[in-house]
Amino acid sequence: MELIKKYPKVFQWLFLLVVFFALCFAIEVPETYKFIRGQAEFVKDPNQSFYVFLGKEVRYYAFDVFWRLPPLLGWLPIWINDSLFFLMNEWLPMEFWNSDTQTYKTRPLVLQITREITSIMTFLIELIREILLGGLKTIVAFTSWDWVGSNSWAKMPGLPWTVVAAGSAILAYKLSGKGLAVFAGLVMVYISIFGQWKPSMQTLSFILVAAPLSFIFGIGFGILAFKSKRVEKALYPILLVMQTMPQYAVLVPALVLFGVGDHAAVIITMIVAVPPMILLTLLGLRAVPPEVIEAGRMSGCNNWQLMFKVLIPTARRDILIGVNQVIMVCFSMAVISAFIGAKGLGFNLLLALNQLNIGLALEAGLCISLIAILLDKMSLAWANKQVDYFGNLTFYERNKSVLYFGIAVFIGVVLAYLGSFYFKQGFNYLFEVPHNKGISTADFWNRGVDWIFDTFFVYIKAFNTWLIVEVLQPMRALYLRMPAVATLVLVVGAGYIIGGIRSALVVCGLTLFIALSPWWDRALVTTYMATFGVIVSCIIGFTVGTLCFQNKHSANFMLGVCDIFQTFPSFVYLIPVMMLFGITDTSVLIAVIVYATIPATRYTIEGLRSVPMALHDAATMSGVNKFQRLTKIEFPLAFPHMMLGLNQTIVFALFMVIIGAFIGTEDLGQYILKALSDKNGAGIGLTLGICVAFIGLIFDNLIRTWVEKRKQHLGIA
Amino acid sequence: MFKEIYSEKIKGLPEFIRQMMGLVILIIVIISSFFVMNIMFGEGDDLVERMKIEEERIANEKKLSELISKLPSGILVTFDGTDHYKLTNEVYEQVCKATKLIPQRAIMGANFLNFRAHEIYTINGNKIDDTFVKWDKEKNKCFAGFTVSGNNVGVDESITVIGEALSFLSTGIDTRVYFIKNF
Repeated sequence: MELIKKYPKVFQWLFLLVVFFALCFAIEVPETYKFIRGQAEFVKDPNQSFYVFLGKEVRYYAFDVFWRLPPLLGWLPIWINDSLFFLMNEWLPMEFWNSDTQTYKTRPLVLQITREITSIMTFLIELIREILLGGLKTIVAFTSWDWVGSNSWAKMPGLPWTVVAAGSAILAYKLSGKGLAVFAGLVMVYISIFGQWKPSMQTLSFILVAAPLSFIFGIGFGILAFKSKRVEKALYPILLVMQTMPQYAVLVPALVLFGVGDHAAVIITMIVAVPPMILLTLLGLRAVPPEVIEAGRMSGCNNWQLMFKVLIPTARRDILIGVNQVIMVCFSMAVISAFIGAKGLGFNLLLALNQLNIGLALEAGLCISLIAILLDKMSLAWANKQVDYFGNLTFYERNKSVLYFGIAVFIGVVLAYLGSFYFKQGFNYLFEVPHNKGISTADFWNRGVDWIFDTFFVYIKAFNTWLIVEVLQPMRALYLRMPAVATLVLVVGAGYIIGGIRSALVVCGLTLFIALSPWWDRALVTTYMATFGVIVSCIIGFTVGTLCFQNKHSANFMLGVCDIFQTFPSFVYLIPVMMLFGITDTSVLIAVIVYATIPATRYTIEGLRSVPMALHDAATMSGVNKFQRLTKIEFPLAFPHMMLGLNQTIVFALFMVIIGAFIGTEDLGQYILKALSDKNGAGIGLTLGICVAFIGLIFDNLIRTWVEKRKQHLGIA
Repeated sequence: MFKEIYSEKIKGLPEFIRQMMGLVILIIVIISSFFVMNIMFGEGDDLVERMKIEEERIANEKKLSELISKLPSGILVTFDGTDHYKLTNEVYEQVCKATKLIPQRAIMGANFLNFRAHEIYTINGNKIDDTFVKWDKEKNKCFAGFTVSGNNVGVDESITVIGEALSFLSTGIDTRVYFIKNF
C-alpha cells in the first residue's frame, strides 16, 4: 500500500496496460478480417453491410464492434462532396453581367465568387511574374493589344537577373550587413547560372502574392481575436486543427472550389499560412506590457491609434516572426501546390521526382532551399532590426540603398543591352540564362546514384529487407492487431491519468472521430509509421542535443544546422533518401526520421539551456559531477521543454509520413493522394486530413497537458 | 441527503484511490458502451452467419487456388485415350468449380456446331453477353456455356450455347474451359 501511495501514477499506468493487453488477447482477430477489407473501397459486395443516413448509402465490411467500429461517419465525405456540388452548381443562381459577351449570365453565387477570386489572384500573379520575367500580358490587361501595338516602347522586358541579384544583395546588406549580402548575391548568381531563373521567379511571384495576402489576413484576424473573445473562441478550434492538418489535405477541396493553377495554389497557401500569422499576432499583442497600453491611453490615443501606434509597433518582433513563418509555409507549399498545377521550382522538382531524375530534382530542391534560407534570414533580420527613431541622418544616409539599387538597375540594363550585341546568335545570358541552358550537375548526381546502387546494392537491399521484414512488418501487424475497444481504453485512460476527465473526454472525442470514419485501419498504419519515426528521431535528437549542449560552440552550431534544415521544404527530404534507398517504405521512414530529428534536437538543446544558471552553480557547490548534474538536475528540469520537442517531432513525423505517400505508402496519405485525382475526392480528402490532424491533436493534448502539470509540479510554470 | 453523504465519503478518500476509481469507472463505461454498440450495430447472428459463409468462401477459394497451383500446366482432360493429364472425378469437380473463364477458342469450337450462334457471334463483332461454368450435381458433370445476342439481318436474337466441359487449360495461375461438347 505504501508503494501505491508513493507511486500512484505508476500503478495507474500499470493497471491501464494490463487492461489494454487483456482486451487485446481476449478479442480475437475475425477470420474474415483482412487489412485491405478494413475500409470502404466503394465496391459493392453481397457480404457488405450498409446503412442510409441523410440519404447517403454507406457500405462497409462489418466486424464485431469490439474489433472494429462500424464507419458511422462514412456519410460525412459523401455529404461534403454533395454539399460542395450543390453550392457550386445549384445554390442561389443569380444574374451576373458578363463584360466579354455584354450579356447577363445566370450563375450560382458561390461559383461566381470563386471565379472572381480566381481572376483577381491570376491577375496579381501575372502582374508580378511579368515584372520579374518580362512580357506583355499585364500591360495588355491595363490597356489593350491595339495600344501595345501602336506603342512599341511598352513592350518592356523583365528585369535582368543581374539587377535582381544586386537588389537582393543591397536589401540583405541593409537588413543584416555584409555576410547576408554576400550570401544573397551568391544565391541569385547560383540560381541564374544553373538555368533556374525562370522557375525561381515563377515561384517567387507566387510567394510574393501569397505572403503579403496571408500577412494581411493573418494580422487582421489576429487583431480581431485580440479585440473580441468571441472571435478568438470561434477561431481557436480552426487554428488548432490547421496546425496539425497535412497541407496535402487542403488541396482537394480547394481544387473543387478554385480549379487548377497558380491562383488555386495561392489560395491554398493562404489557408495554410494564415493560422501561424494569427497565432503570432495574438501572442505578440498579448505580450504587450499593460504599462505601455496605459501610457498610450494616458497620451490620449483612441482605440485605432492605440492599436496602430502603440500595440502593433510594440508587438513588432512577434508579428515579423509571423511574417517569417508565413514565408516558410509559402515555400513548403510551393512544392505541394505543384500537385494542382502551380508553376515554378516546385513543379520542376515534382516532375523530376516523377521521372526519378534525382540529379534534376536535387538542383531544383537546392534552389528552393537556398531561396527559403535567404528569405528566412532576411525576414528574421528584419524582425530583429531596431528602428532608430532618433537618428539625425542626411538624405544620402537615409536613401543610400535606393540610390545603390538605382545604380544597379542602370548597370544591369546597360550590361543586358551590351549582351544583346555580344550574344547575337544565341541567348542573351546577361539578361536571362534560359531554363536548361545553364550549367547542370544533374548528370553527375545521376551517375552518383547509379554508382551507389551498383556498389552498395547488396548492402542496401539487405538493410531494406531486414528493416521491412524484421521491424516494420511486425510493428504494423501489432498496430493492426489492436482491437478498437482496447485502443480507445488505452488512449482515453492515458488522457485521464495525464490530465483528468477533461483531457480524457477530449482525446476520446478525437479518437472516436477516427474510429468511426471508414479509415481506422489506415490511421493505424499512419500512426505506426509516425511512431517508428518519432522513436528513432527522439533517440537521435535527445542524444545529439545532449552531447552538443556540453559545449557552447557545438550547441550554437547545432542550432544553426537545425535552423537551416527547418527551412528546407519537406518534399526536399525525399530526394536524398530516394537516391539511397529507392522507392520503398524505408525511404519514407528515413525521410521521416531526418525531418523529425530537427525539433527533437533543437528542443533538447533549448530545454537544457533553459535550466537556470543559479541551479548549475548550486549543484557545482554541492559537489556533484557533470554526469550527476545532467541526470539529477538538468534532465528533470529540461524534460517538460524536451517533451514540447517531442510534440513537434510527432507533428513533423506525421507531415512527412503523409508526404511519403508520394513514394507509395499504405496509409491515410495514400488515400489523400488518391482523392486528388478523384472528382468526388473533396470530401474524402478533407475527412482524411481531419483524421491526420486529430491524430496529431491527440498527442498534442496529452503532451501539453503533461508538460503544464509537470511545470507546475517543478515550480517553473 | 444520500448524495451529500456519498459525495462527502468520496471526497474523504485518499487522492490515489479516487483517481484509480475514476480510471476503473472510465474503462467500465467504455467497455459497456461497446457492449451497447455491439447490440445496436453488431448484427448478431446474421453477421456471424454471413461471416461464416464468407469464411467458407475464402477457405474454398484458398483450397481451389492451392489445387490449381499443384496441377500441371497444359491441357487437362476428363476422358481416356490422350497424352494429356487425366483428371480424377474428384479433381474434375473441383476444377469445374474453380474455373471461371471460357476463352474464345472454346466458344468458336462450340459455334461450329451451332450455325445461328456462329452467325450472330460473327455479325456482332465476336461479342459475348455472358459465360458460365457450373457443376451439375445430378449428372455429376461440368457444364459450360455462353450467350450471344445481337441483330441478325434485322431481327434481334439471343442464343445460349451450352455443353459439357470436357477439357480445361491450366495456366498454373488459373484454369480455363478448353473444349465444350455441345453435340
